[in-house]
Amino acid sequence: MNNFFDHKILELGQWLEALFNDVPSLKIVVHIVLSTLPLMLAFMGAFAFSTWLERKGLARIQNRPGPNRVGIFGLLQPLADGIKMLMKEDIVPNQSDKLFHLMAPGLLMVPAMVGIGFLPIGDGLSALPLDSAILFFFAIGSMNTIAVFMAGWSSRNKYSLLGGMRAVAQMISYEIPLVLSAVTVIMIAGSLNGQEIVASQQIPSWIGSGNIIKEFFGQILGWHIFKPWGFAGFIFFFIAALAEANRSPFDLPEADSEIIAGHLTEYSGFKYAIFFIAEYISAFAIAGIAVTLFLGGWSGPLLSGIPWFIIKLFSLFAVMIWIRGTLPRLRVDQLMGYAWKFLMPLAILNIFVVGLYYFAEQQWGTMIALIGGWIFGFGALQLAAKGLSRLNKSPLLKGKRVYQFAE
Amino acid sequence: MSITFFILATIAILGGVLAITLRNVIHAVFSVLLFFSAIAGLFLLLLAEFIAAVQILVYIGSVGILMLFAIMLTTKVMGDTTKTVHSRGWIWGAISVTALLLGVLVPFISTPQPEAVSILSNFDPSVKQLGLVLMDPYFASVGVIALLLTAGLIGAVVAASSASEATE
Repeated sequence: MNNFFDHKILELGQWLEALFNDVPSLKIVVHIVLSTLPLMLAFMGAFAFSTWLERKGLARIQNRPGPNRVGIFGLLQPLADGIKMLMKEDIVPNQSDKLFHLMAPGLLMVPAMVGIGFLPIGDGLSALPLDSAILFFFAIGSMNTIAVFMAGWSSRNKYSLLGGMRAVAQMISYEIPLVLSAVTVIMIAGSLNGQEIVASQQIPSWIGSGNIIKEFFGQILGWHIFKPWGFAGFIFFFIAALAEANRSPFDLPEADSEIIAGHLTEYSGFKYAIFFIAEYISAFAIAGIAVTLFLGGWSGPLLSGIPWFIIKLFSLFAVMIWIRGTLPRLRVDQLMGYAWKFLMPLAILNIFVVGLYYFAEQQWGTMIALIGGWIFGFGALQLAAKGLSRLNKSPLLKGKRVYQFAE
Repeated sequence: MSITFFILATIAILGGVLAITLRNVIHAVFSVLLFFSAIAGLFLLLLAEFIAAVQILVYIGSVGILMLFAIMLTTKVMGDTTKTVHSRGWIWGAISVTALLLGVLVPFISTPQPEAVSILSNFDPSVKQLGLVLMDPYFASVGVIALLLTAGLIGAVVAASSASEATE
């Protein structure tokens, strides 16, 4: 019964492909279209819904109604926004680098769209089932930086250039803790393949036991977030993911109150909309990788794989909205210091914890490894975090604060 | 297959040529990145997906950014203001490139090629194989490289911290 829905979708796809058995060249095209187009459309739909969700959520946090004019609960607001964006005039600065100014939004779309292809969205359902999918995801994600820099540089605007520089510095810095915290899961799963990572988070002996309660929990308790290193790793990963996706509180590259939206300053109309779409889809993609690595991917009891994945994805996105409504933006020096002096050492320590956990599990079994891991492994991480924050504390200022460039 | 190869090869050559001919330094860097991505595509075509991923991660994600940073930190090279220095160096370059081409291409063409055999049937492109090879026969070299990189990292930290103390 479980994953019934996923298998039906897979069968439907195979049936559609089988119709073209006589024409092999056409079959490849059909295969490509079937494995990419639904995913792209689904994520575009998710983008539209998430803009509504974000505006509603922020409005709720700020105690105001939010969009409520178009459609029931304002649900058609994304459509209205889209039409508005399409009808706006496209302004290109006179001095700008015309070709790069045009290319940047498109280039930003590439990593976003390729990134969602690596997500295992259901049982046996991933558009790009590569052996090294996770590594490829991070590699493609690093192309984001290039696109943002291109946008900032080609606009010939001081604020845009500042935004571009900030984006480059931030994305390079946070990529390291991001990948280091993902390494823990790869070590345990022994694979870079998304489906195998999901499989490593199920307890097969419980699922096949026939006992209903064991079957129920066998699909939950194996998630890496319930392990000491996984819990810590998820937190590091999520913080770094927020920075990678330029989400608040790490939205310095487009800080509207400081550098007037940074690399977006000189963009208008539909190009601006494309930037927006790419940013949201990248956020979804990185949240999807977080779900795959730490939250059990598509595995879960009762429901099928795809609904579980959607539920987890939107829960993570809701947390992102919640954080955006709650936390103020970081300062540039705080941002860099946080990545290099706090997150990175902790992520490296977490790799050692996971190595010890692995051998403890092999030696003494899962139960003892878990208990020991929570006490010693998580304790060590806690201590390290305390020590690091004490080390990083800037010395108390004696006398009056002196500003170099301001009164 | 061969169509894809020729498209990617053309893009790679185009990127390389643009990188050395364009006056604008930033444009040149982006052409180099175009070249790198075409090379990554060629690796994918050879079913070496791991190498392709590393190519993108290291060359586009890091080396390209490093070049952009270097340009940003150098004054007066942004934009179209750069002047090309004319020198006789190109003659030596042309001679050496011709010698290299003749030395590599002519023997390559003149030797009879073995018949192309499809290796797809008994080919295992998995990352696991690569990992086993790196960890077993080449473990010593991987260890030495890791040590070297760590030394470099520590050196960078030391260099950066002493520089900031000097300015204070």
